[in-house]
Amino acid sequence: MVQLTRRNFLIATGWVAGGVTVLYTLRNRAVAVAPTIIIPNKESGAAWVQIRSDGSCLMYFTRVEMGQNANTGLAQIVAEELNIELEDIEAVQPSTSDIAPIAVTAGSMSLTAFSRPTAMAAATLRESMRALAAVKLGEPLSMILDDAGGFQTADKRKVSYADLVDKDSVMVEFDDTKPSPALYTFDPQRSKKQVGRDATPIGIRGLVTGAAVYTADVPMQGVLYGRAIKPPVRNARIASLDTSGVAETSGFVELVRQGEFVGVVCKTPSALDAAMSKINVTWDLKIPINQDEIDRLIDVDAEMADGDLEHVLQDEAHRKDADWLIDLRFDVQTQSHAAQEPRAAIARFGDGSGAHKLEIWTGSQDPWGMKRFAAMDTGLSEDDVVVYAKRLGGGFGGREHYEVERDAVILARAVKRPVKVQWTRKDEFTASRCRPASAHRLRIATDDAGNLSDWWYGYITGHVVFSRERLPGWLLPVARLAGDMGVVKGALAPYSAPHQRVEYKDVDLPIDLGVWRSLNGAPAIFAIESAMDELAVQQGMDPVDFKIAQMKGKQPRLQVCLERVREMSGRRSLPQGSGYGRGFACGIFDDRSFVAVSADIHVDEIAQEIKVLHMCCVQDVGMAVNPDQLRAQAEGNMAWSVGMALLERFEVADDEIKSSNYDNYAIVRMSDMPSVDVEVVDQPSIPPAGAGEVALVAGPPAIANAIRNATGFRALRLPIAFADISS
Amino acid sequence: MKLKINGVERQVAADWQNENLLTVLREHFGLTGSRFSCGIGQCGACLVHVDGIPMTSCLIPVSEVVDKDVLTIEGLAAEDGTLHPLQQAWVDERVPQCGYCQSGQIMQALALLQNTPQPDDADIDRAMSGNLCRCGTYTRIRKSIKKAALVMKEAG
Repeated sequence: MVQLTRRNFLIATGWVAGGVTVLYTLRNRAVAVAPTIIIPNKESGAAWVQIRSDGSCLMYFTRVEMGQNANTGLAQIVAEELNIELEDIEAVQPSTSDIAPIAVTAGSMSLTAFSRPTAMAAATLRESMRALAAVKLGEPLSMILDDAGGFQTADKRKVSYADLVDKDSVMVEFDDTKPSPALYTFDPQRSKKQVGRDATPIGIRGLVTGAAVYTADVPMQGVLYGRAIKPPVRNARIASLDTSGVAETSGFVELVRQGEFVGVVCKTPSALDAAMSKINVTWDLKIPINQDEIDRLIDVDAEMADGDLEHVLQDEAHRKDADWLIDLRFDVQTQSHAAQEPRAAIARFGDGSGAHKLEIWTGSQDPWGMKRFAAMDTGLSEDDVVVYAKRLGGGFGGREHYEVERDAVILARAVKRPVKVQWTRKDEFTASRCRPASAHRLRIATDDAGNLSDWWYGYITGHVVFSRERLPGWLLPVARLAGDMGVVKGALAPYSAPHQRVEYKDVDLPIDLGVWRSLNGAPAIFAIESAMDELAVQQGMDPVDFKIAQMKGKQPRLQVCLERVREMSGRRSLPQGSGYGRGFACGIFDDRSFVAVSADIHVDEIAQEIKVLHMCCVQDVGMAVNPDQLRAQAEGNMAWSVGMALLERFEVADDEIKSSNYDNYAIVRMSDMPSVDVEVVDQPSIPPAGAGEVALVAGPPAIANAIRNATGFRALRLPIAFADISS
Repeated sequence: MKLKINGVERQVAADWQNENLLTVLREHFGLTGSRFSCGIGQCGACLVHVDGIPMTSCLIPVSEVVDKDVLTIEGLAAEDGTLHPLQQAWVDERVPQCGYCQSGQIMQALALLQNTPQPDDADIDRAMSGNLCRCGTYTRIRKSIKKAALVMKEAG
């Protein structure tokens, strides 16, 4: 078996602390509440891929799977480098004890950050196998050519990987001073067999037979059922608590109170429901929870009237008193993740016979973070804790924190039995950290030729990454001074003006906030693309032509997306009659992912509804490792675009979160879903960038611009209701 | 208390007789392909067939399905592992993203094809709009239903 050197192996298995990098911890582990952000290197990557003694390939999935199928793309890379088929790879989701810590699965960075180390690991393995082949065949290394599943000589003498490995382990020594092996994946001249093809996601069969295992599906001997009450906001304190009758519930096992934590363990789920329903709790809130309060806190106009906003992203020859042609305010709503799987965790404390004192099964975006937090929480050493990462039934940024895991750990410890906790749907709406509401003021002026002369964009949003719970209170002001990277996504437009200023402020809102697909990207780009469309229409210009002209040739990849989406949408004619319209929008996510979207809509006066009929999407995220899965992500983003533009409305009032289930928080259904055409622009010479949340930045403004095209109504507030148009 | 699940008669132990059907399937019998998502019959993730009728199992007390035939996603493929045409279409079109809702989607689609062997778009909208998919795989679900319908028609 080919393995690593001892030194590397130790690092890879976590026996040696391999540089746990934590944001803003200032060397104080007690405040390590930021997610794991280790980016893999060649050494850690090498542990992910092995050729076993039967010649088969074992690959550890380094990403948590939540539907993005990034692991399949990484497996394609391994197959490409090793000259094997995808089916030859056995893929295993590692526990936190199997390999060195790996970064949180978030920010659509899986292929960006993991493709090269994965290719490097597999290529290093391939080249060490080649050396073994040279010995075996008695030929110089340069005469050993690639072959499917092994190597061959020019005269067709073949040797397979299975022929080359025996039962004794062989260590592969890495030597940083030697040149890196050739990476087939990143060679644009090479004709590839695996990378760039539509590969069927690994494990898909289990998803259509019910055999796939999510956290709550894990079989567990003697498991009990637990749950904790969720406050409307995390800084709430219990004002009164009445648990009378709870202990008398049939099937009741334990009531646990620990500070603001109140949880119950029962023998069956129905007993748990009955016991939980008997708890009456009231909360002390620091700020009232209602929409007026949120609106007041994000009132960008009031704030800009008072002077500059807190942070300035861009400031070039700014003129406050330009002759503004566009002076519009856009308001974007709060949104919930509403993932299909209510989060779950199982915790089991060992009897001392096993390797670990605490085992946790969970579908977290950050398994190594969960391990670290559970150790801190329980006082155990990190070596005593293992986390088994399970598939997530949807993540979308909402599954990074140590929460349902904590519920399970506290309850399991109290009852000394394994405990399974699955949040209710209401818990999900209450305690999933929302995408914050935001308000955007955009002012644009043009010169005599109609080109942009002045651009002034100010916005206020709730915090995204530096939310209250992410960082300790004393550190928050420091971190926020530096700027919240989630809050600035999408704020810089791809258009140029000689006079421009972009400023923002991020504020605490009375509800819990966090990372939600595209972060601030979709809200900011909704404002920018709506304003640009309005300016074009008011000047009597074609919005696509106008936008391309205002890019001034500085955004060639975005320009191609926009041109292609116009051409794609043109293949289908808009139905005749009133109320039909077509709109376009484009955007850039994280500097490296480009997208343009068109939407055909019908404002139906008879049915009193806005219906999205068809959307086209052209996306360029560099190298397309698995084009089909890029299309799948774009399709999903079109569904989210319809939801954000027309449906999703998170309600708070009377100091409560009113949205509690799918009957009062609408997400897109089959009947809402437009037909979608997606085109992927492949760039074999550009490393892959994120694709999971790109198209969502352009979908909502495309829909809003289509409504403008159909009716003359400019949407200034999301979600857009039919009644908004008629009024 | 007994019921037939995927053709096999099963006895519900006394401790589990007050639970809903979904809980009994998952926690008592280990058939975890039907999933809990909303708990109020609003999303379809827990959908199974009871005597051939699609029902959200999170809302049905197990006591109400005594002696009835329950079909879950685990009972859909042939015994030799051959996938049902709907499951095969789901694989061919690469429908699932996170996958959590897909058991319910397939079971609802099965009910649709049993009543309407060649559904048009409006039929699909009507039948499938109670089954939510947060990932937004609807365009591929639609395609797969049509594809499976064709395969089933050709197979007679």
